[in-house]
Amino acid sequence: MLEYAWMIPVFPFVAFLLISLLPKRTLSWEDGAGYAIGGAAGALVLSVLVIGDVLAGNTMVGDGPKFNWLVIANIEVTFGIWVDQLTAVMLLVVAVVGTLVVIYSGGYMHEEGAGRRRYYAEIMLFISVMYGLVISDNYLQMFIFWELVGLCSYLLIGFWYEKPSAASAAKRAFIVTRVGDIMFMAGIIILFKYVGALDFAHLFGEEGVAAVPNDMMILATALIFGGAIGKSAQFPLHEWLPDAMEGPTTVSALIHAATMVKAGVYLTARSYPLLVQAPETLLFVAAIGGVTALIAATVALVATDIKRVLAYSTISQLGYMTLALGAGGYLVVYADTAGGYSAALFHLMNHAFFKALLFLCAGSVIHAVGTNDMRLMGGLGKKMRITSLTMLVGAIAIAGVPPFSGFWSKDEVLAAVYSAGEFDSLFFLLWAMGIATAFMTAFYMFRMWFMTFAGEPRSDYHAHESPKLMTVPLMILAVLAMSSGFALFVGDGFGYFAGESVAELFGGHHHESAADILAHIFGDPLTYVSLILATMGILLAYKIYYLPGFDRSVFARGVAGKLQRALENRWYISQFYDDFAVKVVYALSLVADAFDRYVIDGMVNGFAFLGARSGGLLRRAQSGNVQRYAVIIVVGLCLLLIFMLYVAPGGRW
Amino acid sequence: MIPIEYWLIFSSLLFCIGAYGVLTRKNAIVVLMCIEIMLNSANINLVMFSSYHSVLHGVVDPSGQVFTLFSIAIAAAEVAVGLAILLSVYRRYQTIEVDKINILRW
Repeated sequence: MLEYAWMIPVFPFVAFLLISLLPKRTLSWEDGAGYAIGGAAGALVLSVLVIGDVLAGNTMVGDGPKFNWLVIANIEVTFGIWVDQLTAVMLLVVAVVGTLVVIYSGGYMHEEGAGRRRYYAEIMLFISVMYGLVISDNYLQMFIFWELVGLCSYLLIGFWYEKPSAASAAKRAFIVTRVGDIMFMAGIIILFKYVGALDFAHLFGEEGVAAVPNDMMILATALIFGGAIGKSAQFPLHEWLPDAMEGPTTVSALIHAATMVKAGVYLTARSYPLLVQAPETLLFVAAIGGVTALIAATVALVATDIKRVLAYSTISQLGYMTLALGAGGYLVVYADTAGGYSAALFHLMNHAFFKALLFLCAGSVIHAVGTNDMRLMGGLGKKMRITSLTMLVGAIAIAGVPPFSGFWSKDEVLAAVYSAGEFDSLFFLLWAMGIATAFMTAFYMFRMWFMTFAGEPRSDYHAHESPKLMTVPLMILAVLAMSSGFALFVGDGFGYFAGESVAELFGGHHHESAADILAHIFGDPLTYVSLILATMGILLAYKIYYLPGFDRSVFARGVAGKLQRALENRWYISQFYDDFAVKVVYALSLVADAFDRYVIDGMVNGFAFLGARSGGLLRRAQSGNVQRYAVIIVVGLCLLLIFMLYVAPGGRW
Repeated sequence: MIPIEYWLIFSSLLFCIGAYGVLTRKNAIVVLMCIEIMLNSANINLVMFSSYHSVLHGVVDPSGQVFTLFSIAIAAAEVAVGLAILLSVYRRYQTIEVDKINILRW
């Protein structure tokens, strides 16, 4: 089946073409939702077949079908497909979440009217290019799809483009991620300069790795990770993701929680053969991940917009994955185990399911209530039973309560970071940040759940449960959020499966039985630390936001008040960017204005002035006095004669 | 026969007197007269070289002298045109001083 993997993006792309080109009356149900579901489902079926093939142990790494994209002198850039275990994980995420989100859209976008056609066309284009990104076998191909997913993200964030906040959020997302994209491109160029090829088979091979000097390898990998910082909304480029919540909630669920923002993590994981050559970069990756996880989690504590809570939670969890990848690289280099790497991928998969679930639940709530503000919600649990229960499943999963999926992957991540501490003590600090994040995650998730579903309604609305078209995807995702953690124990186990894709990088790849893994997890005292912290987080949220009689105004006073205001202002990072951008851009514009005004205009005006002035002087020769002309003629003639007779007689110079 | 240098000196003197008059006199009629003097100095040269050519080579070749006649005729016509212009200039500006008539200027 692997050689047909290139056809996966074709299904949604055909759907995109049909939806955007067919006459409107032939689109029938929901302006093209049928075609969209068909395209997504086709890709899902093919993806599942491909994943089955990978599970059976087949991969296509560098030996797949290729075609020439461009030929420059003796350098050929080919496009092809690359399917390994990492690809399979991403394929699974994109296929499952993509299909469910498209089905859910059938209910959620019902009231959009004519905009639905544009919506379905763009979302199909996104799914298509996301598949393309995942199966790319070289950096250039990947970069092209990378930019295309960015474009789709821009289009879909700005879906309600008449709203100024949506239009500016779209621009912001596009521009901020572009900062990362430029770094990514610079990294690719450096690699190309030394290796002369862009396909993974060459770059990751022994010759490719050896061709790059050590310091350049650090620079190139750090720059490629820069692309991941932009796309996966890592600190300090994370502020675009909360703003991206201006788009429809389905878009947030698919693009800004489950798939596109994972592209950065995917890129980092894909570049592992290069990253392990540069432990300095790995440390940088881990540090960025840890800081991102902590900062985003703190802001989520006070956010009142239900989607923004989820957005900051997404950033925080992406930070977890990045942290695990950084620590995992150390483990691969020094401890010969892929523990961190597979933990990151495991968390990536689990997070895609439970975060898509949470977003779609939030969408269901917003659909019913008509606002994003949790302060105006409350009491929805009785009216929206399915939504409240599925969201509870999502919240439990992300909080890390066993046996739901988040517990297993989060525990793996923290264990990997802790064990990397053996090789660099910075990882102990990062582990502490991770564990603090875990506590806060449990707290803000249940804060959100209690504020939304528990208590009494705090504003006037007539909520009702969403249609089946929306609740069925919620239930499917809830089942996945509950069960995807057990992938750790199925067959050879997820850890072994994921580790296979970087198997050449280390020697000691060994099987662990399910009982071994369980004993490993529950024999580790650190597991109980995170478990107790998660429980405490949930109980604290229960006390503050559910039990009556807690005076929340204590948070608004004194030091706590200062902290709260800092958090409400997102640590002033966004504000810093705004001020910075305004000041720097204004200063730059002043310089540019002065340059234009004085240098460019000065040159133009200067030449004009010179011409006018010299003309003004020279025209005085035209005195109109005939005798003066005659004098000039006579004198000139005399000079000519003198010259010809005495200076250059006989015409010789 | 008068040596050729004398003729040349004579005609150049005549030319210089004419040129001096053209450059310095204000009255346009005098200027025209001076131009006639310059022209005649050239005519003298033509006649002189023509007669020397005949004597030195022992041939009769009057073409130089014929050209001089042409030149005198054309000079007469030119003076007629010049005087006519001066007449209308005088009617327009009530002056024929060349340094006063400078309307063709910047």
